[in-house]
Amino acid sequence: MLADLFFRARSLFRRKAAEADLDDELRFHRERQLRKHLAAGLTESEALRRLRMEFGGLDQVKEECRDARGVRPVEILLQDVRHGLRLLRKSPGFTAAALLTLALGIGANTAIFSVLYGVLLRPLPYPDSARLIVLNETTPKVGGVSVSYPDFLDWREQGRAFSSMAAAHNVGFNLSGVDRPESISGQAVSANFLALLGVQPLLGRDFNVSEERAGTAAVVLLSYPLWQSHFGGNPNVVGRTLALDGRSFTVVGVLPPEFRWIEKTDVLEPMGVWLTNNPAYGERGERGDTLAIGRLAPGVTLAQARAEMAGVAARLERTYPATNDQFRAELRPIRDVLVSEIRPTVLVLFAAVTFVLLIACASVANLFLMRGSGRAREMALRMAIGATRGRIAAQMLIESLLLTSLGGVAGLALAVAAVRGIAGLLPANMLAGASIDLDGPAVLFAIALAALSALVFGIVPAMHATRGSAQAELKKGGRSASAGAGASRWRGVLVILEVSMALVLMVGAGLMAKSLYRLFSVDAGIQTEHVLAMEVNLRTAQYDQSPARLNFWNRVLGGLRSLPGVQAAALGTGVPLTNDHSRADITIEGMTLPGPGDFPHPDVHIVSPEYAGALGIPLLGGRTFTDMDNEHALPVGMISARLARQFFGAGDPVGRRFLFGHPSSKRAPRWITIVGVVGDTKLYGLANPSRLEVYVPFRQEAPGSMTLLVKSAIDPATLTSGIRAVIASVDKDQPLLSAATMTQLVRDSVSAQRITMIVLGTFGALALVLAAIGIYGVISYAVAQRSHEIGIRIALGAQTGDVLLMVMTQGGKMAGAGLLIGLGASFWLTRLMSSLLFSVSAADPGTLAAMTFLLGVIAMLACYIPARRAVRVDPVNALRCE
Amino acid sequence: MPDKRIDLPQGTLDLLILRTLALGPQHGWGISERVQQTSSNALQIQQGSLYPALHRLERRGWIKARWGTSENNRKAKYYELTRAGRRQLDSETDAWKRLTAAVAQVLGTA
Repeated sequence: MLADLFFRARSLFRRKAAEADLDDELRFHRERQLRKHLAAGLTESEALRRLRMEFGGLDQVKEECRDARGVRPVEILLQDVRHGLRLLRKSPGFTAAALLTLALGIGANTAIFSVLYGVLLRPLPYPDSARLIVLNETTPKVGGVSVSYPDFLDWREQGRAFSSMAAAHNVGFNLSGVDRPESISGQAVSANFLALLGVQPLLGRDFNVSEERAGTAAVVLLSYPLWQSHFGGNPNVVGRTLALDGRSFTVVGVLPPEFRWIEKTDVLEPMGVWLTNNPAYGERGERGDTLAIGRLAPGVTLAQARAEMAGVAARLERTYPATNDQFRAELRPIRDVLVSEIRPTVLVLFAAVTFVLLIACASVANLFLMRGSGRAREMALRMAIGATRGRIAAQMLIESLLLTSLGGVAGLALAVAAVRGIAGLLPANMLAGASIDLDGPAVLFAIALAALSALVFGIVPAMHATRGSAQAELKKGGRSASAGAGASRWRGVLVILEVSMALVLMVGAGLMAKSLYRLFSVDAGIQTEHVLAMEVNLRTAQYDQSPARLNFWNRVLGGLRSLPGVQAAALGTGVPLTNDHSRADITIEGMTLPGPGDFPHPDVHIVSPEYAGALGIPLLGGRTFTDMDNEHALPVGMISARLARQFFGAGDPVGRRFLFGHPSSKRAPRWITIVGVVGDTKLYGLANPSRLEVYVPFRQEAPGSMTLLVKSAIDPATLTSGIRAVIASVDKDQPLLSAATMTQLVRDSVSAQRITMIVLGTFGALALVLAAIGIYGVISYAVAQRSHEIGIRIALGAQTGDVLLMVMTQGGKMAGAGLLIGLGASFWLTRLMSSLLFSVSAADPGTLAAMTFLLGVIAMLACYIPARRAVRVDPVNALRCE
Repeated sequence: MPDKRIDLPQGTLDLLILRTLALGPQHGWGISERVQQTSSNALQIQQGSLYPALHRLERRGWIKARWGTSENNRKAKYYELTRAGRRQLDSETDAWKRLTAAVAQVLGTA
């Protein structure tokens, strides 16, 4: 087989030499044969005649020899490629239209595929990552929550379904001792965390078991990017120190560049270091921000692991009812955790872009058919002089392939730009560390797509070109070179398909637009205009005591109020639409005590007096906080309207009291008097229902991490540097986290819907244009073909209206059929995107009707232009053409 | 002459070429002469189809070609059997014998 290929290749590449050899060989034979005949006594002319009889046509023999050497297919291919390129050059209009369409189709697909691959398919950088399971706790009331550390320790000890299990707690650090203090993210992890993932430090050592216990020395592993940016990739970094939250940490190693975790991770510290600094998390009732990760033991399925962990959680619930009532274990493959938010978006976009490609193929097939009708005679002639149907079909396919190859190259260039655009639209937290690049798999995909497209749109013209009868075609002479009924029918079918697919895309885009509109019409309970939000975390030892924190916040608030343009400055925790949430059980004075898991569990906001005012949260009863609500005054609180309704009904909650946690005989209850009721807010995004909320004044409980809210008369973004200056004047080592306007936060919270709408809208518009061009092309062509007939009709007295109607009817039938099919398809396909829709049904009749109408009008417009041309046919000219 | 000629059944040309080359390297004309002589003029290779057949056999690796000098000092392309070709000849000869024997048997009993 290999030798055979080699032989063919040699024959091909040494074609000149091979031809010369063949000539020599055959000449030798003929000379010998001639001499033989002469020797036998024939005259020279007789001998030559005899030779011709015996040998046959020299050229034919040569041709057969070439065939026998097996180089013909390649030669034919090269010939077809040359022929195809010549044809493409000869009709630049056709080539440009087809190339542009294909480039758009292939480019869009490649771009979306890059996203799909980066997000859903790219292998995770852990060996056998399918067996990595993320575990957390869940309660019926809140849903997924963190696992408490003692619960995790029990899980790890009792969970036989896992060969190993590790915990990772999300930690933020202030990195100081550098030019500009900055805030970085890290994980406090069990000693076996990296080993479980199958990751080895690039430099230095992994953590060891003794470092899981509190009291261990402060050490860190650096992420590769942090090592590069802050230590210049210095290979001698191990043993150096790093100031985190004002404490000195010794670097023990560096993580490999491909390391990726569910949350952004700049450093890893051992669990023991974290427990040393946060002893409260050693308590079972404390659920911070911890996930467990386990590797399934060999042979154990996820279902088996779930069943086992359900048993473990149930035992813990029985043993520790006060802290574990109704707490279950939730198990998800790590890939699902990474992509859960973005998967529906990506899948919908991929389905949509497939439609775009199909429409592009239909358009190009249409162009081919239109040109094919002009080439019918060429094909007929070639068949008449001996070309086989297969040979002609192959030639057509090669032409398609040429086009798609060129289109594919252009498409890749488009995709490079599009990928950047789309990656920019996706919010970083949804990507969860996935990188989106146009790399190897995407390029392979584009190549496969180009080949597939060539088949998809090349097959119809190829079939069509070889079906006709050569004789019939030639008999027509040069007169009409008519495409015949076959081609028109095919073109009609293609246009119908285009219209139907365009409708599906437009309905999808319409549904997204309507959802987005509905989302933005949701009352978030806050006024977002001109409000800037900026997170500040006090973590260094100087802020360990509450008075120091209070002092910092007071000075910052004072500084902010004196900035020009500032209308209100406030502080708060759990600001709506941020990632900062804190919830706690409360006990309302006088309530019948429920089971430990059934206490009211509101979101807790610790706020400054102007908080509600800065965010425009309405006061519904009582009063807001004042500066007098301080550590020396009576503990006070505000509650949300929902909480008031649910627990006080028609009664007035003002003056009533609640406390955090459950009543306990061990300590004196700290009752908080309700002084006000405020409106509900959409804490967890516009699409999510509001929850119970309580507010307490920050002067009675100053936290270390708060969000600054600055409401201004001017564009709040211009205040950023002023705010930074105020904070630096209070504490120059204090880093700032991101600053964003509340309007931006609202927009980000609907980014999945927004990107889907933008991309679907673009695709829908593209599809609409292609479908309109398709209809226009078919009708124009039909009018040109029928101009003779139309001329006769006009000559016989047909009125303008009659002709217009006749042409429009033809287009209307195609558009109507396409719309009908498209409606049916939309009805089925838009269900796929129902998880992305908000208060709009996937079969929303309004959207279906509007899009059908829009597409119908555009389609009729596309018919009207050629129809007008038909009306203007001059009967005399039309008849003279005969 | 036409009456004396036997039309070669499909595939026998290859067999004849291989058999002739089993005697030693030979050029195309020589092969056709040899076949004609050894079959007492009963088999005459269609000269037009000899060369495509040679090229096909070469591609399959059963024979290989090299340029040599003919008996009258002319440059000529000589073909010789490869090891694969010899095996092919053996199996084809075998198949041919069984075929002719079987056909002869049928004809004999008919």
